[in-house]
Amino acid sequence: MINELKQLEINALAELQTAETEEHFSNIRTKYLGRKGLLTGLLRNISQVPDVEKPLLGKLSNELKNLLNAKIEEALQQQAIRNKEDVLLKEKIDVTLPGNAIKCGRIHPVIQIRREICSIFVSFGFSVVEGPEIELDYYNFEALNIPHDHPARDMQDTFYISDNVVLRTHTSPVQIRIMEKVRPPLRILSPGKVYRRDSDVSHTPMFHQIEGLLVDKGISFGDLKGILTAFLRKIFGETTTLRFRPSFFPFTEPSAEVDIRCVMCGGKGCRVCKQSGWLEILGSGMVDPAVFQNVNYDSEEYTGFAFGLGLERIAMLKYGISDIRLFFENDIRFLKQF
Amino acid sequence: MLVSLKWLKDYVDIELTPEELAHRLTMSGLEVEDIKTIRPQFSGVVVAKILSVKPHPSADRLSLCVVSDGNQSYPVVCGAKNISMGDIVPLAKVGAVIPGGYTIKSSLLRGEKSDGMLCSEAELEIGDDESGIMHLPADLPLGLPLEKALNIEDTVLDINITPNRSDCLSIIGIAREVAAITGKKIKFPTVKIKESNEDINSLASVKIIDSDFCPRYTARMVKSIKVGSSPVWMKTRLEAVGMRAINNIVDVTNFVMLEMGQPLHAFDFRFLEEEKIIVRKSRENEEFISLDGKSRILPADTLLICDGVKPVAIGGIMGGLNSEVKEDTQVVLLESAYFNPSSIRRSARKLAMPTDAAFRFERGIDPEGVVRALNRAAQLISEISGGTICKNYIDEYPKKIPLTKDIPLRLDRIRQIIGTQIKAKDVTGILRSIGMVLKQKGKGTYLVTPPSCRVDISREIDLIEEVIRLYGYDHVPVTLPVVDVKEMELTPRLDMEERIRQLLTGSGYTEIVNYSFGTPQAADILSLPENDERRKTVMIKNPLGEDLSAMRTTMICGLLETAKKNADNGSFNLKLFEIGRVFINSSKDELPEEKNMVAGLLTGEITDEFWCSGKTVDFYLLKGSLENILFDLKINNCRYISSSIEPFLHPGKSCGIYLNDKKIGFLGEVHPDVLEKIDFKNNLYIFEINLDILERVYQKKKISYREISKFPAVTRDVAFVIPDAMEADQMINIVLDQKEDLLEKVIIFDVYKGKGIAEGKSLGLRFFYRAPDRTLTDLETNAVHDRIVRNTVNLTGAKIRT
Repeated sequence: MINELKQLEINALAELQTAETEEHFSNIRTKYLGRKGLLTGLLRNISQVPDVEKPLLGKLSNELKNLLNAKIEEALQQQAIRNKEDVLLKEKIDVTLPGNAIKCGRIHPVIQIRREICSIFVSFGFSVVEGPEIELDYYNFEALNIPHDHPARDMQDTFYISDNVVLRTHTSPVQIRIMEKVRPPLRILSPGKVYRRDSDVSHTPMFHQIEGLLVDKGISFGDLKGILTAFLRKIFGETTTLRFRPSFFPFTEPSAEVDIRCVMCGGKGCRVCKQSGWLEILGSGMVDPAVFQNVNYDSEEYTGFAFGLGLERIAMLKYGISDIRLFFENDIRFLKQF
Repeated sequence: MLVSLKWLKDYVDIELTPEELAHRLTMSGLEVEDIKTIRPQFSGVVVAKILSVKPHPSADRLSLCVVSDGNQSYPVVCGAKNISMGDIVPLAKVGAVIPGGYTIKSSLLRGEKSDGMLCSEAELEIGDDESGIMHLPADLPLGLPLEKALNIEDTVLDINITPNRSDCLSIIGIAREVAAITGKKIKFPTVKIKESNEDINSLASVKIIDSDFCPRYTARMVKSIKVGSSPVWMKTRLEAVGMRAINNIVDVTNFVMLEMGQPLHAFDFRFLEEEKIIVRKSRENEEFISLDGKSRILPADTLLICDGVKPVAIGGIMGGLNSEVKEDTQVVLLESAYFNPSSIRRSARKLAMPTDAAFRFERGIDPEGVVRALNRAAQLISEISGGTICKNYIDEYPKKIPLTKDIPLRLDRIRQIIGTQIKAKDVTGILRSIGMVLKQKGKGTYLVTPPSCRVDISREIDLIEEVIRLYGYDHVPVTLPVVDVKEMELTPRLDMEERIRQLLTGSGYTEIVNYSFGTPQAADILSLPENDERRKTVMIKNPLGEDLSAMRTTMICGLLETAKKNADNGSFNLKLFEIGRVFINSSKDELPEEKNMVAGLLTGEITDEFWCSGKTVDFYLLKGSLENILFDLKINNCRYISSSIEPFLHPGKSCGIYLNDKKIGFLGEVHPDVLEKIDFKNNLYIFEINLDILERVYQKKKISYREISKFPAVTRDVAFVIPDAMEADQMINIVLDQKEDLLEKVIIFDVYKGKGIAEGKSLGLRFFYRAPDRTLTDLETNAVHDRIVRNTVNLTGAKIRT
């Protein structure tokens, strides 16, 4: 009889394995555990079992009953969960359709570069300052050691409002305006629009510059190299190779043009770097004593350096743009890429 | 400036490759922008001798030559007339390639065999002369390839000379630099003058009336010259640096200018009336025809070189047509002068004549090089044209040209500026290499005399620059300034701009940057009234075009134009903004007022994703964006006033934006008339706000937390029927003005017009009541609510909709 009980268990578990619906499970329950079920039927014959086996048989049959009940209960619960899932799955949506929140816009690529550069210099302790875009000849030229009838004026083709008023050709006049008001030491950065009478693939009549100025006691050309090296490596990467070479600006002396190894060809020579392997990135130099004199700074006591760079040029190099005019055509298909 | 290496090597030995030399020059301040190689455009052309010339039996114009290359003789049929037995000429042999890619073949010309071709300068692209076969010097070995014989191969450096370095506007100037950076010696050309017995002073005179403009004028006379073409060595040098060869007299003046940096001019002495030169300023409305054949009315105060009667040259800029050297010129008066740099510059600019001479004079020539160049040119003219140089030269020098003075130089100061302990002997070595004379004055101090050609050097800092430039920027160690560490903050306005930028891009707007100038018609496009401030336009005197001549007084036109351009490109759904300045002309100040503005534009569908039911943008979407900006800046007292109408906005769908009773901007739908003017199909919504006024109100306000009530709010909804003309703002204000403490807030939950409302509109208000310390009872709530509703009805005449 114990064997029969064992066989019953095997059969019942096998049937449970294959059962799928709620109905199947309840049929199995009735078949084995119901009043007319197989286990009940088996136990009806318990009288024929020797007395010594009766306790064991009772225990085993109880265990089987509990086991089956538990199994059926568990299966039923799982079934209920599955049913609920089925209902949810029928509500399935197409998650690959695009979202319908308003899509983000973009910040103008040149302004993005401006923010990046400003934040680097702000972290170096520079303050951001501004000045007028329409400027007196004095601030744009004279005070920067560019007198009337000086050939250096040819370096920048100027828009005139009147004989004495110009659209600023660089952000450098802000230096003068600040130095007139503030005594050294000084660390300022001045971003803004500048204007030159020029228009082709690499020139627009308006573009953006950032001008920087640091004045303190004991500032040297080595410091200029140090700050600008740190800055350019932040913008173009820590491994950027750069070189400082002599140049001329009327308001700095000595003056330096700073080149980086061409980002396009790595220095082999290409169209972008005009085969030279180098790209001009910024102009800089030690503030000319004549400029200090114009703002009543003592050039024996204080020295300093200034630098300026064109933002469009940086953006063109960073993004591989060959026509500067794209920045001001404001084609949304262009602007959305940045 | 173009510099021929071959020419440069006449004055300094160069062992570096052109690339190395270019690098060294660039790193010492003469930026080489390009390296070009000049190669002959032919091959297989050799030096040959004409052994015989016979007429062609069946063609009058052709002749039969026998030509030898030293090894072999060739029959050649030739069409030129200028050949005779014994001439040394270029022969393109069979197989030779001449410019244009033509290969010479053995051929029969009218029945006669021809094994080659005799060439003209033009055919070989060596020069312009196409009149006949080129004649070569008799001493050239036969059979030598022509490119070797003429030494045609050359390398040309294109050097960017900065405005301070006038001393480098000559081949010798560059040679001085090369000598300094390579440690070589410079070889100046030797000038030897053979003078005749005839004294120039007995033949001509010079009188300077305006010595400020012309402090020094020197002249020499060369007689019995024969004008012709220049020798090949001179032509190839001139042409290598882009100067066209003209004739042996003009070429010499150009050659010496390029060689020494001193511009010169040669007059045909026949045309100098009264045999004299008078240097004076132009009178009012004086007319003059210069060498380029153009007639000009000269501005007053232009320096003129005149003879006894008339002007013959614009001093330092260009000669006159009336006295130019011609084919039959026999006597020339050669001018070498010093002109005042700034007066030349003013005149050259006014006349728009940026000539090579003006370029050098305005940057400052070597005051001590005037006579040297005069003699050099006289010597070359005499050598090349066979002329004889008259005895003596005229040197009118009424006003001393200030020479550079001795400059004190401190070693300490150099070290301080460079930031490194450069050695004293390095400093002195560098300065001496560029021709400076140094005298030790004390310990670590010197007195330095620059050479006369370095007119840019007058101060200690100028000397320091020379030292550091030749020491090498690369050798200056990188240091960091010792300054106090402090991180700075943006100014409030820039900070505000950044927040606005973030917020607008987050709401879907893309930033644009337009030119600050545009069409002067902008005010008309916007139908601005005559007295509108935005008609006070700042105009550019020399714009790139009329449509770029007016500084903007509002950013709206730029936005409209941008929308239009994008729509033309198929982008119809646009959300744009710009942050920038506008410019208002000021009657009081010299400089205009510059205002910082933000402006935005919406048009088309809200999103490009059509699958989720395309809705078009409207007034309220734009207003929402603005409200977000103000919320972010914690400016919460702005008012939108519909009676403040801009002429370019829809009068029923626009308003002015006010802050503390000051108008800060506007928003609304663009007026249909404006849409028509700019030919735009869809509706456009725009705003513009003055950031300067916002800045004054905006501060980073301290936020103080207010406790959230633990007790629930009670809400009551009421729909008021009010006249169409009455604005929601007005209703809300009437409710809030009653200042009931328990009324926490009131919002609009519905605006309805149509069925069931006979007249006016229905405005649904939801009132929220709450006490900080207890749960409100219905009784309490109703008492307050009824009072508010009753008062509101009384004050407005609204009806309650039931």
